[in-house]
Amino acid sequence: MDADKDNANPTIINPSDLPSRRRSAPTAKRPGIFDALAPAYPSLADPLSSPEASSDSASSDEEREEIDEQEVYDLISTISDPEHPLSLGSLGVVKLDDILILPPTSPRSRISTVRVLITPTTSACSLTTVIGLGVKVRLVNALPPRFRVDVRIKEGTSRTADEVNKQLGDKERVAAAMENKSLVNVVNTMLATCE
Amino acid sequence: MPTLTLLATLSPPCNARTWSSAPHPHLPIIATACSDKTVRIYSLQNFQQQSTISGGHKRSIRSCAWKPNSRGESVLATGSFDASAGIWRRWEGGAGSAQAAEVDFTSGLAGGGEKDEDDDDEWRFAVILDGHDSEIKCVTFAPTAPLLATCSRDKSVWIWEELEDDNFETVAVLNEHEGDVKCVAWHPSEQMLASASYDDNIRLWSEDVDDWACCALLSGHEGTVWCVEFEDANNIYALGSSEDLNSKQQAYVQTRLKAGPRLISCSDDMTIRIWRRVPKDKPEQPAGQIKAPSIWKNRDFEEEWIEEARLPQVHERPVYTVSWSKKTGKVVSTGSDGKIVVYEERWKDANAANGDVVMSGGTPAPDVEDLSAEKVSGSEGHMGGLTEWVAVASVDNAHDVFEVNHVVWAPRADKGKRSEDEEVIVSTGDDGEVKVWTLDT
Repeated sequence: MDADKDNANPTIINPSDLPSRRRSAPTAKRPGIFDALAPAYPSLADPLSSPEASSDSASSDEEREEIDEQEVYDLISTISDPEHPLSLGSLGVVKLDDILILPPTSPRSRISTVRVLITPTTSACSLTTVIGLGVKVRLVNALPPRFRVDVRIKEGTSRTADEVNKQLGDKERVAAAMENKSLVNVVNTMLATCE
Repeated sequence: MPTLTLLATLSPPCNARTWSSAPHPHLPIIATACSDKTVRIYSLQNFQQQSTISGGHKRSIRSCAWKPNSRGESVLATGSFDASAGIWRRWEGGAGSAQAAEVDFTSGLAGGGEKDEDDDDEWRFAVILDGHDSEIKCVTFAPTAPLLATCSRDKSVWIWEELEDDNFETVAVLNEHEGDVKCVAWHPSEQMLASASYDDNIRLWSEDVDDWACCALLSGHEGTVWCVEFEDANNIYALGSSEDLNSKQQAYVQTRLKAGPRLISCSDDMTIRIWRRVPKDKPEQPAGQIKAPSIWKNRDFEEEWIEEARLPQVHERPVYTVSWSKKTGKVVSTGSDGKIVVYEERWKDANAANGDVVMSGGTPAPDVEDLSAEKVSGSEGHMGGLTEWVAVASVDNAHDVFEVNHVVWAPRADKGKRSEDEEVIVSTGDDGEVKVWTLDT
């Protein structure tokens, strides 16, 4: 059965070796045991902190919200591979170093770009387009609309890279794909392991 | 420096992505193709929604087009991701006026057996055109003949002829593109069709004896060509009256008149290009001969088109739509970066048009600039470089932070209209909104 897969024996990265916020930002405050019990109201003792600044950064104030590469990685590394019961992070399909956030190109523009390079598990992986679509859909749905999401195949890792890049970059094709029930089902299954 | 000012946002907006909008050929209304499988018809007089078309398509409606010259009844074609095209009809009774809709509403409430009248105001589904294998990207009616063109991800362009009302026959299936066909556009006066594709090329199609075939391949773009459009034949006069031109400029005008309307294209490669036919050097007709032998037409079928100009590159991401004003010759573009940009064509050296050269009568000694233009141009057919395109106005974040899919010129119809020929720009975005802009000088 495994012989049907493009890559029956992928290399799997040990979960403890995957990049995470806890190690990359050791100064971040560790959650206290009561944090989950009480809503995070701004402290009355700190009149300068606005509600926006202290509440969950992912849900409020689009303009001020800072999103970094680690956050993008966390959004997509938990996507399941369509072929293996493993995450794209543990398969090394998405890597923190291959995520780049580009700020607006001028002071007048409010549009940032997220560029993600994906590394297929084998150079012949026929599911590369589906994986790319999953990553793109995940980011378009999870990030604020001011982000343009460019998903590309890392250079030299796939024979069909140009073709896949063009498809993933084509807004009309991506929109039509998301109206195709069988493709939507595949993508939803991949994304079911997120969050 | 002109500015783009937001005049209105059409109301209510769609709560899903809107793809493109088509102004009616003679009524002050505009039809917007929406990803929620509907078409919304808005008034350009009061900016309110006037009617909707729904229930015909199973997926996104990507494109819609009005049939020209259909007085008394409006006919709209829709192209959908469900691979079909639809034809819809509505009597024009009170169309275009919000008041009429209101009267109907009241009488409907009174319930006095006004059903017939009510139906008159409704869109009637007339016919479905099946044939494409996958998503239809664009539909458009020909201005010169009862022809409709459709194009699809299945790499084909179909031409349909309306033999009588609602009886459409396929007259051509054109398969030469190697990728999705994104857009089709008719020539304003000849039976010629342009198509733009995912294969980075533009093709021109016309009828060779009895069959439609490709008569020109325009390559150069380095990414998907999203949109093509021909200019209006009268655009040449936007450059000024002929008395004020020097001899080189007059020669250029002659070349343009011989070549006919140009084509504009925009692409994923972020460029906007203008293409022009190279007029054929037909031998002078002998004095007695009135008509060229008909065999000439056949040998003449293939055409040469060149890239005449490239507009200044303002966009920073793919350019989705470019629209050429029939009234002023100005161009407007939009795309993924959310900008709307307006461009104008001018003579390169404004002073050269002042008349001193014409006064001198003879052929002026070419100055350095003329020489360089000549180098680029070569033969008369390739003559170009005398005009330049300038970005004259732009607006950032036209639809907040969303992508803008479409932009089109339309006649201004609201109370604030400042002149008979005033136009507005209508933009259609991923935020589900359709916005109306004025160009203020």
